[in-house]
Amino acid sequence: MNYSRLSTALVAMACAILIGCQKSPSDAAPQGFAGLGANAEEFAQADASTPLSFPRDHGAHPDYRIEWWYLTANLEDDQGQPLGLQWTLFRQALTPPDERPDPAPWTADQVWMAHMGISRGATHVAAERFARSHSQHANGQAGVNAAPFEAWIDDWVLKSPEDASFEDFTLSAYSGEGADRFGYSLTLEPQGPLVQHGENGFNAKTVEGQGSRYYSQPFLQITGQVTLNGETREVSGQGWLDREWSSQLLTPEQTGWDWFSLHLNDGRKLMAYRLRVGGEDGGDYAFAHLISADGETELIGADRVTLTPLKTQSVAGRDMPTRWSLTLPDADLQLTVEARHPNRWMPTSVPYWEGDVVVRQADTQEKIGVGYLEMTGY
Amino acid sequence: MLILQKLHKTFSTPQGELPVLNGIDLALDQGESLALMGESGSGKSTLLHLAAGLDLPDQGRISIDGHELSTLDEPARARLRREHLGLVFQQFHLVPSLNVIDNLRLQARLAGREDAEWTAHLMARLGLSGREAYYPEQLSGGQQQRLAIGRALAARPRLLLADEPTGNLDEQSADTVLALLLDLVKETRCALLMVTHSARVAAPLSRLVRLHMGRLKDNAP
Amino acid sequence: MMLRVLLTLLSHYRRHPGQLAMLLLGLWVASALWSSVQAVNATAKDSYARANALFSANVDELARRDGQPLTREDYLSLRRAGLPVSPMLEGTLEIDGERLTIVGIDPLTLPSSNTLGASGAALTAFITPPWQTRLAPDTLDLLGLSRQQAPGMTPAVDNTQDSAGDGAGDSRQRLPPLALRADLPPNTLVMDIAAAARLLDRDNTLSQLVTAPGALSTAPEGYRLTRAATLASPEQLTESFHLNLTALALLSLVVGLFIVQAALGLAMEQRLTTLRTLRALGVPAATLVMAMLLELLVLGVLGAALGLASGIWLAGQLLPDVATTLSSLYQADVNRSLVLPWHYWVGSLAITFGGLLLAGSGVLWRAARLNVLALGQSQAWRLAYQRQLKRMTLGAAGVAFLALGLALWLGLLPPGQGVLVSFGFVAALLLSSALCLPPLINGVLHLLQRWLRRHPLAHWAVADIQLQLPRLSLAMMALLIALATNLGVSSMVGGFRLTFLDWLDQRLAAPLYINDSPSTLAPMLDWLDARPDVAETLPTARGSVDLLAVDDTQEQGARERIALFGITPAATITDRWPLIDTISGRSAAWASLSANSVFINEQMAVAQQLAPGDEVTLDTPQGTRPFEIAAVYPDYGNPRQQILVPTEVLIQHFGGEVASIGLVVNDSADHQALREALANSFDVSPEAMVDQQEIKRLATQIFERTFTITRALNGLTLGVAALALLATLLAQARDRQRQLASLWALGVPRKTLTLMPLFQLGGLALLTGVVAIPLGIAITWTLVAIINVAAFGWRLPLYLFPWDILITLATALGVAVTAAALPSLQLWRTSPQAMLNQGAT
Repeated sequence: MNYSRLSTALVAMACAILIGCQKSPSDAAPQGFAGLGANAEEFAQADASTPLSFPRDHGAHPDYRIEWWYLTANLEDDQGQPLGLQWTLFRQALTPPDERPDPAPWTADQVWMAHMGISRGATHVAAERFARSHSQHANGQAGVNAAPFEAWIDDWVLKSPEDASFEDFTLSAYSGEGADRFGYSLTLEPQGPLVQHGENGFNAKTVEGQGSRYYSQPFLQITGQVTLNGETREVSGQGWLDREWSSQLLTPEQTGWDWFSLHLNDGRKLMAYRLRVGGEDGGDYAFAHLISADGETELIGADRVTLTPLKTQSVAGRDMPTRWSLTLPDADLQLTVEARHPNRWMPTSVPYWEGDVVVRQADTQEKIGVGYLEMTGY
Repeated sequence: MLILQKLHKTFSTPQGELPVLNGIDLALDQGESLALMGESGSGKSTLLHLAAGLDLPDQGRISIDGHELSTLDEPARARLRREHLGLVFQQFHLVPSLNVIDNLRLQARLAGREDAEWTAHLMARLGLSGREAYYPEQLSGGQQQRLAIGRALAARPRLLLADEPTGNLDEQSADTVLALLLDLVKETRCALLMVTHSARVAAPLSRLVRLHMGRLKDNAP
Repeated sequence: MMLRVLLTLLSHYRRHPGQLAMLLLGLWVASALWSSVQAVNATAKDSYARANALFSANVDELARRDGQPLTREDYLSLRRAGLPVSPMLEGTLEIDGERLTIVGIDPLTLPSSNTLGASGAALTAFITPPWQTRLAPDTLDLLGLSRQQAPGMTPAVDNTQDSAGDGAGDSRQRLPPLALRADLPPNTLVMDIAAAARLLDRDNTLSQLVTAPGALSTAPEGYRLTRAATLASPEQLTESFHLNLTALALLSLVVGLFIVQAALGLAMEQRLTTLRTLRALGVPAATLVMAMLLELLVLGVLGAALGLASGIWLAGQLLPDVATTLSSLYQADVNRSLVLPWHYWVGSLAITFGGLLLAGSGVLWRAARLNVLALGQSQAWRLAYQRQLKRMTLGAAGVAFLALGLALWLGLLPPGQGVLVSFGFVAALLLSSALCLPPLINGVLHLLQRWLRRHPLAHWAVADIQLQLPRLSLAMMALLIALATNLGVSSMVGGFRLTFLDWLDQRLAAPLYINDSPSTLAPMLDWLDARPDVAETLPTARGSVDLLAVDDTQEQGARERIALFGITPAATITDRWPLIDTISGRSAAWASLSANSVFINEQMAVAQQLAPGDEVTLDTPQGTRPFEIAAVYPDYGNPRQQILVPTEVLIQHFGGEVASIGLVVNDSADHQALREALANSFDVSPEAMVDQQEIKRLATQIFERTFTITRALNGLTLGVAALALLATLLAQARDRQRQLASLWALGVPRKTLTLMPLFQLGGLALLTGVVAIPLGIAITWTLVAIINVAAFGWRLPLYLFPWDILITLATALGVAVTAAALPSLQLWRTSPQAMLNQGAT
């Protein structure tokens, strides 16, 4: 039954931190990174058949198995130091829509997980939250409302004002007590349109057609305050908000991905990723979306994107590629992408690497942008 | 003094009945000393034990100083031993918890006729003066046997029964002890029945009998 | 060669199987008692560890200041305010008549140091219908399920009051499918909070909001924060109970080793010739010692195996009583079946072997120093023993000095502390007394010898027993310790029973009591008052309050949670309620008990060092206020501090709730009719109304159980002491018979000789018993006045029972005479003539 495989997927996500170990609970069948390749036929399937509809699609899609609201930002503080931050709210459905339990105060059909991270130089801090909710209950411990937009877990909140939809966001998230307290309080203003990836925002992730509904707001102008090491500083810079939901993101064989979101100095944005197939060569699935300054996207197919690690460094006991070559011959882009610091490991229940990067011309090593890199499944 | 008539004694052993005494007749008068000789296992000690009332015969009669042993119960026999008999054993059988003087006085006190003068005299005769506070294990073998003899005579018994009194002693000590024993017997005028297998030890005694196959053969010394 | 030597040594036991039996018996008894108590302790500790891992001890708790129950809305608003709280729902359910604790948790927010959250590979199954019931394998016994069949079963819950659910199918609710988790506390079912809420029919209410310790620096507005440290864990509360058990077990181990020592000594004595012969035949001393060591080890394995096996059996017998006692005394759930960790086995074996080697070391030492030629005993033994007695006296004085030091230290410690020091004091007292016993006996015998100079037989008897003293002293020391402990503990038990029953009589003044939930009881009061057959209603109430300061000496901020108890100060109660200490008499105290004065229980007086007239500052819902302490009252059996106020004050000013209602009814009232009327008018069962007699019976029963264990162990210890004595007597029986035989030859009647050892040993035991009496009283005093205060927080009056003292003396006599009877019987049955001749062999 599908249900039991699903449970394993969730265990990988939520339980590892509770136990404090990171071994995969199931070695029986490959299910992709964090179970995201698990079969999920009883859930709604992502496809391109219907156009995205806003503001409805800003909210949660409980009929789909997984979903996220994913913000990364490349900022600079008032002392001129570059600073990266991340805030993500994940949703996962516990049961297919047909098996949903009747609502009761504590009964849940959705589990929420949120991550936040702040990076500056060698410093990297991270926090994680969990919550349960029932899709037929409003205003639980965590949730997302479409209009007015609000995504929250506990006191971590990303929202738009009453009269605006999905713009003029404020984001507040803090963790820890006393001297260990860190977090941020930001305002985020879109400087460009929403960008849909693929036809009707359907983004195929495998040749078999697994994929997700995927749109982004990559043109965020951010100002606010960041508290780190007991010190609060004014910050400003640019951010990228991703929205994605799906029931089966990967094929079972795909073990992880390397995902880039880059802000180029010329105003263009570049999203590129590589889905890795464990153990064998040639099966990697790479894509890129080049977004013009006015929001026009250009899909660059698998054979026209080359992503190659140039250098690996040991992070948290793993060899992580921290310097990459990214080549898009069609767009005449030959880039070197390098992490500002290897110490960007997220020691969360599902651990991964997520950090700020610098983009350079491959030949001249001239800095032409900044961005974020996420690497999973190592 | 001591009269034994037609004594029979048989022991039960795993190998069957073992007749030891087979009609013994013996009489001992006041002041007389008798050596009872015989081979090992001939029944010498058994005869002595019967005479002391330590054991009872199957048949026959024993009379000590006019007391018929067969008519006495155990406590009465004990009382008879206490008051009329003196016993000396090959293994001395001193009481280790008591010191020399208390050992010496023990039987006299049990019999209720302690005589301090006689005790002091005995101590001197035994050559133990000055060792009153010693304990038996602090004495030599000869000294221990002398003490045992003293203890037996402290109550001035009518009859002294001695079972190989010198059997555990070297020749020189044996001679000393034997001489002392005979002197004291003479001094107290009690009768002596001594079991021994040594002719040398038996020699100074006034009479000698041999025990053979459960019967006595009277021999002149 | 080693094997040959070993076989030669062991051949001795073929001829003397009794000695082998004695040796093994000693080892067996010693290790059985020790390992059984350790098994009980190990199981209890395992249960506490599991309970601690679950909650209470390592989380902070939040409660509402207004006394209202917590709800899901509290949880959500605190979470939305960023506070890392986690909801918990606790309740009890009956399944097949067994009460089980249900704990509902939210694994997603539970503090991660908490093992409950570590739900392993089935988190989804845990939080999604049909959910899961996590339980320890030992809880299955209560449900009547085996480990194999249990996983996935859904046992039905007893009479959930006509569950207001859909009512389709089986009207009884069922537990979520069972899943086993060894590290959970016994009798506890852990499940997702959603499942627990459904089973307990709680909907929105919560029983606790918990956070990781120290996660909150201050309590949020409108809430009260209780730190993990101030919550008493069962382990702390029960520590002294287990200390008691361990001390007793250690005692029996020591006494058991006395037997071993005696038996080994005997075997050594009788094998001296063999040993000398072996040495003369060319066996090196080292080989001989090794062979004896090997022999010891072989015997050790046998004895330890026997001991462990029967120890575990014994523990199985004791455990249900221990578990019941602990749960009724401390609300600590202890497993009713044994759980034995590896270190238990290793520890028990190590103790047995260690003890055996200790007991055997003397024998090995003698074997090593064996003089091949020496045939007699050492000439100097008398002197050696005198030296030994001197050393014992010195040792006794030293240890007595230590005891004095410990007593002084105890005096310096604040009251209510120093359980370990007091046990140290008792141990030092026992050791010192035991050490000075042989010199004392020796002295007394010396005097007696002088005295009895004119009575030759008595004189001999005394001299003779003095001669045996070196051998007997060890057994007598064991007897002394066993007797004194027995007297001490039985006095304490007796005193406790008397005090406790008295106290129950006073506390349970009303003839009838109604116990139910506060919401049921509150409306009952008016109804009861209106009934003509009810003369008086005496409601009690419970609550809690933060103690802020004591007599203004403490700085503000160190708050402590104290239980509040409310009683109705009507004459029925005030006439009988016991008070320990007041400012100016009972009636003045009761008159002043009001909104401004409180009573405190003895536990609190001890812990906070308070006396009548002092002040306490309490954080009431109306604000911080000082209260005068008007009186201190005894509160036996309660492990916690408590403040007493009138019921009305508690309900009105402290947000307390009615806990029970005491009823005084008219003489003509029909209890049964009242019962039924109550059940008809309110949603309670007729059993909610309890007879005072019934409560007393139950309470008495609970306390009786506590002491059944103590008594059982005590009796066993005494039995072991008797065995030690018997072993010693048998060890020297042959030697003694020879001596008695020579007396017999001198004309002491046989009957006198047979009875002599009985008198000798009886006298010796009587002397030991006389020494044991003051020692026992000292132990009783330490138990009731120091250890009890430190462990439980209340002091017991010191009661002495002349009858118990007589029993102690009689026991001493009985033990000695019993032990002496066997050798005497042997004497009676052996021909003294044969004994006379034994000298020759």
